[in-house]
Amino acid sequence: MDKLSPLTPVSPRISFKSSLQHLDLEWTVQNLPHHQELKMIFLIEISRIRTSNIIWVGNYSTTVKWNQVIHWSWKSELPLECATHFVRIKSMVDNGMPPELSSWSEWSSWEEVHAQNPLEPNALFVFPKRKLVEEGANVTICSIFGSNLKDIFCYLEGELIHGEQLDSHILTFELSNVPFVRVSGMNFYCVEKPTNITDGIVLFVSKVLEEPKDFSCETRDFKTLSCTWSPGVDTGLGWSMQPSQSYTLVESVSRERKHCEHKNVCNWKITQELQEIYNFTLIAENHLRKRSVNIFFNLTHRVHPLAPYNVSLESIEATQATLRWKVLYHGNRYSLLCQVELEGEGKVIQQSNVSVKVSGEEIFSELVPDTEYQACIRCAGAGHFWKWSEWNCQKFSTSEAAPSEALAVWSTVREENGSCIVNLFWKPLSKLHAKGKILHYNIITENLDKPHRVKLYSASGLANDMKLTLDQCAYQINVTASNSAGQSPASVIAISGDSGKEVEEERIQRTEDGFFVSWKPLSADNIIGYVVGWCVRLQDPLCDLQWKNIGPNTTSTVISSDAFRPGIRYDFRVYGISTGRVASLIEKRTGYYRELTPSMNPRVTVKNLTSHSFVLSWTDYSTNDQSGFIQGYHVSLKSKNRQCQPGFEKAVCSDDSVCCKYNIKNPEQKTFTVENLQPESHYEFLVTSYTRVGEGPNGTFTAVTTPDELSYTLVQIILPMIFSVLLIISVCYWKSQWVKEKCYPEIPDPNKSSILSLIKSKENPHLTIMNVKDCIPDALEVINKPESTKAQVMGTEKPFLAESELTAYLYPLQKEHSGPGPWICFENFTYNQSASDAGLCGHIPVPSKDLPWQQGLLTQPDNLLNVLEGNCEQPLREIPAGEASLNYVSQLASPLYGDKDSFSNNPTTTMPEPCSDYKMQMAVPACLASPLPSKESSLSSVVLLDQGEHYH
Amino acid sequence: MDLRAGDSWGMLACLCTVLWHVPAVPALNRTGDPGPGPSIQKTYDLTRYLEHQLRSLAGTYLNYLGPPFNEPDFNPPRLGAETLPRATVNLEVWRSLNDKLRLTQNYEAYSHLLCYLRGLNRQAATAELRRSLAHFCTSLQGLLGSIAGVMAALGYPLPQPLPGTEPTWAPGPAHSDFLQKMDDFWLLKELQTWLWRSAKDFNRLKKKIQPPAAAVTLHLEAHGF
Repeated sequence: MDKLSPLTPVSPRISFKSSLQHLDLEWTVQNLPHHQELKMIFLIEISRIRTSNIIWVGNYSTTVKWNQVIHWSWKSELPLECATHFVRIKSMVDNGMPPELSSWSEWSSWEEVHAQNPLEPNALFVFPKRKLVEEGANVTICSIFGSNLKDIFCYLEGELIHGEQLDSHILTFELSNVPFVRVSGMNFYCVEKPTNITDGIVLFVSKVLEEPKDFSCETRDFKTLSCTWSPGVDTGLGWSMQPSQSYTLVESVSRERKHCEHKNVCNWKITQELQEIYNFTLIAENHLRKRSVNIFFNLTHRVHPLAPYNVSLESIEATQATLRWKVLYHGNRYSLLCQVELEGEGKVIQQSNVSVKVSGEEIFSELVPDTEYQACIRCAGAGHFWKWSEWNCQKFSTSEAAPSEALAVWSTVREENGSCIVNLFWKPLSKLHAKGKILHYNIITENLDKPHRVKLYSASGLANDMKLTLDQCAYQINVTASNSAGQSPASVIAISGDSGKEVEEERIQRTEDGFFVSWKPLSADNIIGYVVGWCVRLQDPLCDLQWKNIGPNTTSTVISSDAFRPGIRYDFRVYGISTGRVASLIEKRTGYYRELTPSMNPRVTVKNLTSHSFVLSWTDYSTNDQSGFIQGYHVSLKSKNRQCQPGFEKAVCSDDSVCCKYNIKNPEQKTFTVENLQPESHYEFLVTSYTRVGEGPNGTFTAVTTPDELSYTLVQIILPMIFSVLLIISVCYWKSQWVKEKCYPEIPDPNKSSILSLIKSKENPHLTIMNVKDCIPDALEVINKPESTKAQVMGTEKPFLAESELTAYLYPLQKEHSGPGPWICFENFTYNQSASDAGLCGHIPVPSKDLPWQQGLLTQPDNLLNVLEGNCEQPLREIPAGEASLNYVSQLASPLYGDKDSFSNNPTTTMPEPCSDYKMQMAVPACLASPLPSKESSLSSVVLLDQGEHYH
Repeated sequence: MDLRAGDSWGMLACLCTVLWHVPAVPALNRTGDPGPGPSIQKTYDLTRYLEHQLRSLAGTYLNYLGPPFNEPDFNPPRLGAETLPRATVNLEVWRSLNDKLRLTQNYEAYSHLLCYLRGLNRQAATAELRRSLAHFCTSLQGLLGSIAGVMAALGYPLPQPLPGTEPTWAPGPAHSDFLQKMDDFWLLKELQTWLWRSAKDFNRLKKKIQPPAAAVTLHLEAHGF
């Protein structure tokens, strides 16, 4: 082959794309032979600013035809607008020889590229104007400015940055690893100070487009394939720089493609029924990048069936039911595997798989009567599992059956007024055995003595007990439970009137498992079992009776219950059940679920307090109602001298003080005598009970002070003495009148006088005693005694007249007076207590200024006027004071008869009693003035005399 | 009751205040046709409302643009925003404006600003920002209608847009993104100034349209006050 002469590139033409920062070169090769293709190498040189400043040299190899325009493109890192670029090319035929052996053509002339018009002196530009890069890219920004501008300051996102001076009017800024900041881009701008000439660019940084994840396609109906994926981050930017990435689905078997409208799902229509194999490519795309994922599958392997429909339960019985359903038909070649689950009480109790083309059926057996179930079904492809369909569930309930188990029955029996009160208890049947809702319980009582006397009772289905009142205590009781389907087997229990032997109660301790109750086995052969019964709620009258049936060969059991509470005492009774179903008490046990300290201390009273001892008593403290077995008591005693009595021990009390303690170990000893005490000493005591766990609550001490010894003795002696003296005084007082009468009578009785007998015997044997009744009074004397007189008369004696004047009147009584009577003296009605004390009777307090006839309550004026004749017209106040004097009415003075005038003129005149020589003065108690006819007389007849004022 | 000197002055001040505010009582000012007064008041109120609304919107939008546009001391040259109607005017010139010219300038300014504002909506990349902008545009449209109402009440014709005077400043490929952001910045700033100026304009107009207080006093006396 001949050596070809060098072919020089000619007419290089350069164009410029600002958006891509590309220099596009076009040239031709001269002297190229016609219809000949030559493989050529072009050497390209690119200079910046000046031709000598070559910034890039590179080869470009291509096959060249005659007259062909050769295209080549070069991407500039520096925005082309910022500097003039020069390009020249030379070529060489590529003949396979080393370049040094080949000859290059001449260089083409330098071609100059001006991407920017010549700058004006005040112009400032920043390039590239519009730049889109991916996160992490390196970007070069340049700024060019006119000759007048000197101080250029450039800012990226508001932060000043310094660039590289490429030329006197060109600044370049290399930004490496640019981050995504915001969808509206990063702002870069330069400003010239002080002219404030500004220009800038927005650098749009896109997030890196991610590959779609979890790309998957499936069909539910063999008509549509639904392809889904996770799109990843959105790479959309503002200012229409870049929309969000787009997604395209391409199927390579059918060579079809579809632009997806949504960013995470795309539906593909299945048009060819025979196409089973699909090869999908999902392409995600934005301005900067394209990512794709691919899946390849058989359509029948990507079937996600729809949920079964027409699901129904048929032939539902007590223990059996049939489930039927349908599925979407996918042709004869395709069948589904359906999973059937039966759920009861929230748990799956049956599970089975059924292969189905159109419809399926499943029979559930061994179901529990009267129970709610839920049957659920879902399906998946039988040939190749892809996904289960959604569940379709139906609820149903089985019908009821007769209860299968006899009731657990127990009773308590007590006799009352000759009748037998039976409290019958039964435990409700479990759901398993009830097999339906228990409607009622039937109780049949049969008198054991009269077997034909049967009585039927019925209790509500909600009841757990029944009270029966039977005429005697020898009965057999049958209990059955009934629901809508039938009756349970009967439970039989017998009661007898025999109360059984007395059994002593034993204490037991709770173990970890519960109360361990054991008993001695009954030797009798007719024992068919044992029952342990106890109460859970002691406050309840029925006490929530619980019982446990135990076989005949067992002699112990552990009783445990969630109802047991600490501090509560539980009593357990063990019964032996005979073949006749009669229970007999054989053991009693009592214990605490957990013993606690006593919740309360005894209430203590102090008795027999002496100077050396006192007795503490708490007899009303019940040891059975405490929160533990009471084991004893502590008597704490505090005294000032801190000396402990014998039997006491020094201890630290609850209030951290030192005290003496005595331990009473017998819980039934509820009195305690504290002895050896000091008289007149202060003591404090506290009695606390204690259980195995500890002592009762901290209480307050009660103070006691012992009395002193002397006063105690004195009290012992003096009190009875005082009592005796008082008794004697009382007796004396009671008998004083009698003594007075006997020993020194105030008015001697002549009949009793010894003088009389003396006179009688010595002087006048015929001397007789005048009877008062023999004197008939003729006049009443009213005495008005002035103060002075009174004072004179009374002398030093005790005054008993309260008023300053004493007025008395003596009125002659009419002879025709209705009846005989003694002297009646009307006195002033005023008197005082001393008068009363003087042994006067019939005294009525009257105000002195009121006249007797003015006292309606005392004496009616008419009555009084009847008594006092017309001569007493002279008013009370008109009597001269000097004439008024206290008069003396002798017991033996004659009554006044006759001259009324003289009487009225000289009221003080008294007439001697002619029929008697007896001059001894006397006061006439009103009560003795009985001859007065009217009852008013007892109120008005008063004689006011003192003992010392007797006139003779 | 004990009246002191201070109390007397207080009562006098109170009386004066009442008399001063009597013209503001609508029921006392009604003489038949309410005139343009209420419309001007409503326009004034709307202007103040828009001022408040713009403060919130501008904050959000300038943050969206990023630094330096959301920096308080950023004051770039107007450049492309030169075509925006300027609110700033010499005080003497502003005082000498007659009512018709004053209202016409307002109307024209908001017509242009509304047009530019709708352009912002296209730049917004977030849905929330687009909603805020759309809401503000609706309010601004309301203000424009309100000004038109006042002009009609006063018998002034609405300015007709002359052919070729349509706003030429609009986002386009020839504009750099940065300059567009600067224009957006200026648009919001100018809008703020215009709303402030409008409040002054309508307040002045309001006072001018209202009858003098003395006339009201006479009117009250005739009713026996």
